[in-house]
Amino acid sequence: MKKLLFSIAFAFFALAGYQAFAQEPEISPERKQAIDSLALEKVRDLSKYIKLIGAKNTPWSEANRVIDRAVELFASDSEIGVSSLSKTKVEYYKVRQYLERLMRLNYDRVEIDWYKIQYVSDLQRQPDGTYVGVITIFQTFKGYDAEGKLVYQDTTKKDITVYVNRKETQIGGRLVGFWDVLLGDMRVKETTLK
Amino acid sequence: MLALSFKVNAQSFGDIGGSQMDERVLYAMTKQMGQFIHRFNYEEDSYGKKLYPDNPDYHSAKKRQETLPLLFDFDNPRTNGALGEYFIEDLTKNHIQYFEFLGGDWFSEVTAKFKWKGKIVDISLIMAIEKEGLGSKWVITNVFFSEFQKMFPQGEMTEREKHFLHPMSHELDFMNIYKAFNNPQIIEYYASSDYTTDYLTLFFYEVKQGNLKFDHVDKVKFHVFQIKNWYFEVSWFNRNGYNSGWLISNLIYIREEDKSSLLKLYQPKK
Amino acid sequence: MLKQLKNILMIALVAAITICGSTSCNSSKKLSKKEYKVKVEQAERDLNALLNDETEWTLEEQQARLEEIKETDFSSKNPEIMEMIERAEAKIANDLAERDRLAEEKRLAEERRIAEEQRLRELEEQSQPKTDLTDYFTMIVNAKDMTSANDIIKQALNLFEAPDAVVLIRLNNFGDYDKPTTASNYLNYLKDQKTINVGIYNIKYNANNKITELELIKK
Repeated sequence: MKKLLFSIAFAFFALAGYQAFAQEPEISPERKQAIDSLALEKVRDLSKYIKLIGAKNTPWSEANRVIDRAVELFASDSEIGVSSLSKTKVEYYKVRQYLERLMRLNYDRVEIDWYKIQYVSDLQRQPDGTYVGVITIFQTFKGYDAEGKLVYQDTTKKDITVYVNRKETQIGGRLVGFWDVLLGDMRVKETTLK
Repeated sequence: MLALSFKVNAQSFGDIGGSQMDERVLYAMTKQMGQFIHRFNYEEDSYGKKLYPDNPDYHSAKKRQETLPLLFDFDNPRTNGALGEYFIEDLTKNHIQYFEFLGGDWFSEVTAKFKWKGKIVDISLIMAIEKEGLGSKWVITNVFFSEFQKMFPQGEMTEREKHFLHPMSHELDFMNIYKAFNNPQIIEYYASSDYTTDYLTLFFYEVKQGNLKFDHVDKVKFHVFQIKNWYFEVSWFNRNGYNSGWLISNLIYIREEDKSSLLKLYQPKK
Repeated sequence: MLKQLKNILMIALVAAITICGSTSCNSSKKLSKKEYKVKVEQAERDLNALLNDETEWTLEEQQARLEEIKETDFSSKNPEIMEMIERAEAKIANDLAERDRLAEEKRLAEERRIAEEQRLRELEEQSQPKTDLTDYFTMIVNAKDMTSANDIIKQALNLFEAPDAVVLIRLNNFGDYDKPTTASNYLNYLKDQKTINVGIYNIKYNANNKITELELIKK
């Protein structure tokens, strides 16, 4: 009986999968660009949040609220893998843990800046049909002590996973199709650039 | 030097905010393997803007001839000479070919640290893109672990020939078979001549037994067999200057008929 | 002068009623010559006043006076009064019709005025929050610090039915949207990001003119 149920369930999934595939027409370049921009905007949002969280003049309550908003950008269980030139082994952090660590950094003042450059990969589909891409951005970090002396700086390459799903929701009695963009794992690698 | 790099134009890229630093190095850097593929095929222009098939420059042979040399590691004398030129000529004139993400015959080599019998060891996982369901995924196709290789040495033919069970052993209830187990190091000599060691199964077995514990990934590179009569390797160059990121670190001319035995190392079960 | 005349006429009217009331004046035949003469004089004076618009009587008062005059038979001795009565009747009928017409016109005008006022108010209400909302967007983005941004957000939220009123963000005109959000979240988003990259595409209001759904479009 169990076996029968399983094979029915399997047939159903196979069929559902097939239908989803059949229904998905090729997305036009214009729409692809809109989705790319949306994905990039989420990354840009994250970079602003990181700046706010790191800034020492952001009130504590606001920083916490911003952390919540930043965490909402990510799919649950997303991790941040960090390595530096001196420590090549990747350290893993949960998103919230990573951001809270940033908030508590022991510098008198920090400067976080983003290079004007970014790279948005093609979106590839994973087996369940979700589109997945990677956006690369570069960040510089500078930490100053109470005397205003630069005590730490690095430039990191951040490769951020982006998941894109087509979803639908009822709003005011009509069906609205939207792109659900969630950030996933993020790899933070120190570069030789200063 | 600048002439040998991807063009730089701050206007053509979006602005993620803030930094006023010199970004030419980052423009030139091949930042993702996907960007390597796009540059290789000329599917993005020299400013980094994606090209679509309706663009006259898309896949342009002339543009590829200009762009492909920039995808080589300039510091590597092996790939920088005539070999690289032949490769580019082949790609853009003789057998026009493109590197396709879902085209198969390219692999990622992930070198990782594991704990094995109390010591830290390096194991290379060979990965390939496999189509599944509505999309694709990376799968492990093979592993290279020196300890496994040591365990199954090729052995000298004369030595191998000394070890066998004669064809009448069955009549004696294989009373001689104990000799095969006397020397476990060479037990495989008693296997069929077309026996090959399945390192992946060995690896899974050791992981399941708890003997192998994953620690971390050290390095990633790519091996590409997709281009007719060529093999090339792509590695990450984390350095300053206009020749950084994912670049061709090795190039070998290899005829198609010779590729299959090499491919077996990457994907034995194909 | 007119007032004086009116007073005189009123006195005459009251006197006439009193007289008639007490003497049951039904026919001119019963009137003495002197009485008839007075009646003729009064009738002529009043009818002239009526015809020349020299009274301040209401049309109803004029009608009443006319009926009273008609009670005396002037036909034999004073046919000119009969002719004046006819003219006065026609005039009063005309004036009454004119008064009704004016009243109707006035009512219509008033109704139109009210409708126009209503329309203008609605228009203003509709356009008012639209400008206000984009103003608020700009104010939030340009706020000098988070505290003042929060104050502006609080004010801006008054335009909405609730802080969780739906906010839709169109990416293009191909039916692609970002994930729906709420008014409160969106305004806070502006505060954090300090940039506006959308325009207003559509606004839906409830009966109280509060925003129930805001649709934005990426610029």
